[in-house]
Amino acid sequence: MPTPVHMFPGDPPQIPDVLWRRTIPARLSLKDGLMEEIEAEMSGHGLIIDEDRHWLLLCLDEALVNAILHGNEADDAFPVDITLGLASGRWVIRIDDQGHGFTLDSIPDQEEDDSLFLEHGRGIRLMREWLDELHYWRGGATLWMSRGIP
Amino acid sequence: MPSEHLIIQAYDGIVLAKITKERVLEAPVINALAEDLAKLVDRYPKISLVLDLADVGYLSSSFIGKLMALFKAVTAVKGRMAVGGVRPSLMPLFQVTRLDKIITFAPDAEQVIQLYKRKPL
Repeated sequence: MPTPVHMFPGDPPQIPDVLWRRTIPARLSLKDGLMEEIEAEMSGHGLIIDEDRHWLLLCLDEALVNAILHGNEADDAFPVDITLGLASGRWVIRIDDQGHGFTLDSIPDQEEDDSLFLEHGRGIRLMREWLDELHYWRGGATLWMSRGIP
Repeated sequence: MPSEHLIIQAYDGIVLAKITKERVLEAPVINALAEDLAKLVDRYPKISLVLDLADVGYLSSSFIGKLMALFKAVTAVKGRMAVGGVRPSLMPLFQVTRLDKIITFAPDAEQVIQLYKRKPL
């Protein structure tokens, strides 16, 4: 079963054990370098195995594109904060944007036949397949994704 | 900007398009690939398109969306399209999104080419 997506009210908890943190302007051209940096950091801490690397990059890509393009509307006056850490035996990546968030109803249901031919809307469904937790706070402007340490 | 990560071969009415980049994650790369693949649909009437992904090790949901757009464009002109060589690690991405229900996937591009040769449009 894919991991359920939860939208919680208010602010998320702090990550107890922060390993790495960055703040970037909402500029899409910075995304790929950032992904490489996070990937290297996670590899260095033994948080990702080679067989799962494509899943990690897919999830990071989806989360960062959503924060930069949809959250901050690619306005580089607004920052995106990214934090990597550990919590309850899992690695956690938290991404905060400055947008208005979204509602879970706005995500196309990939089980519906009508969604099959859409050219967008598959990212969160794919993330749910691999992650152990996919949570949102602040109306969707904070993403929290986690998975057990291999 | 034409994609530098695409090799096109056309013969016997079959068009083989091989993506040669391992990480298909960056928006400019994905957009350039999508544009060049869309041009093939305009250039070859009733195209039999074989997309070879054997070199691709990483992709994004955006690329999967572009693949769906390409499939719709191909079927709109009464053509056909199949994907070959998807690495086993990436196949779940197409299964989860159910693209495997509407697009033919084969272990390698050559299998699709042979199938299309046996059954011309």
